[in-house]
Amino acid sequence: MSTPDTNTQVAPHGRTTGAGRLLITVYGIFAISATVRASFQIIFHFADAPLAYLLSAFAAVVYIVATISLAKPGPGWAKLATISICIELVGVLVIGAASVFDPAAFPHATVWSTFGRGYGFVPLLLPIIGLIWLYRHRESK
Amino acid sequence: MTLDAWFIIGTIVGLGSTITCIVAAAMKKKPNDITLLTLAAVELFIVAYTIGSLVRILSGQDMVGEPWEFWGYMFTAAMLPVAGFYWAMMERTHWSNYVMSAVGITVVVMLARMAQIWYGTTMAAQALQQGIGS
Repeated sequence: MSTPDTNTQVAPHGRTTGAGRLLITVYGIFAISATVRASFQIIFHFADAPLAYLLSAFAAVVYIVATISLAKPGPGWAKLATISICIELVGVLVIGAASVFDPAAFPHATVWSTFGRGYGFVPLLLPIIGLIWLYRHRESK
Repeated sequence: MTLDAWFIIGTIVGLGSTITCIVAAAMKKKPNDITLLTLAAVELFIVAYTIGSLVRILSGQDMVGEPWEFWGYMFTAAMLPVAGFYWAMMERTHWSNYVMSAVGITVVVMLARMAQIWYGTTMAAQALQQGIGS
């Protein structure tokens, strides 16, 4: 065992600190970009693809809820984060699979189309990493 | 997508910031002047890009894509270094450098999208549409 010197600090433990802040940052970026994109799609081109754009809006809401609940300490927020990230995982898997098997039904890209390929598959990895993070920082009742 | 000087310089600044922050974080350094300055460089580039784009539009060169989308990206890109700075400073550990490293790469991705809007190349949606053969 080495004693940590004063310059290098041991990473703090906890759901909302350390690496958790990086996870919250990435969720925040997705929340902002999904919200802005969905808003403009709905305002300017809603008639083109109502279903795809409503799904975009739904995805945006899920990302917002996940970001806020990840950032807030406490078991209640952890539970909300788990629920929203599970919805996100189901969403990316269902929309991803649907867009691969039936591309005609999803001619307009949503953040979850083809498992988030347009976003470097980050939308697919993010909920998995998020759930692992929440599991490793679960609070005992 | 057309590679113009804006995109190339922006990519160098953005990736430079990301790489610097990741290296600093891997060395378990807390945010210091160097990593904060790379973030400031990203912000400075966005300001220059804003002015440059306005000059281009005023001199008669207009973008092909939708202006609101371009400026929406520009505004978000301008907010990212500021938000990253505050979020990182609220907890000064080496993890803050990882947080700040996310800013540069995100701005580069947004610059790529902005270049597509400016020069008029449709994005990933086109790749998705190959299934319907149009």
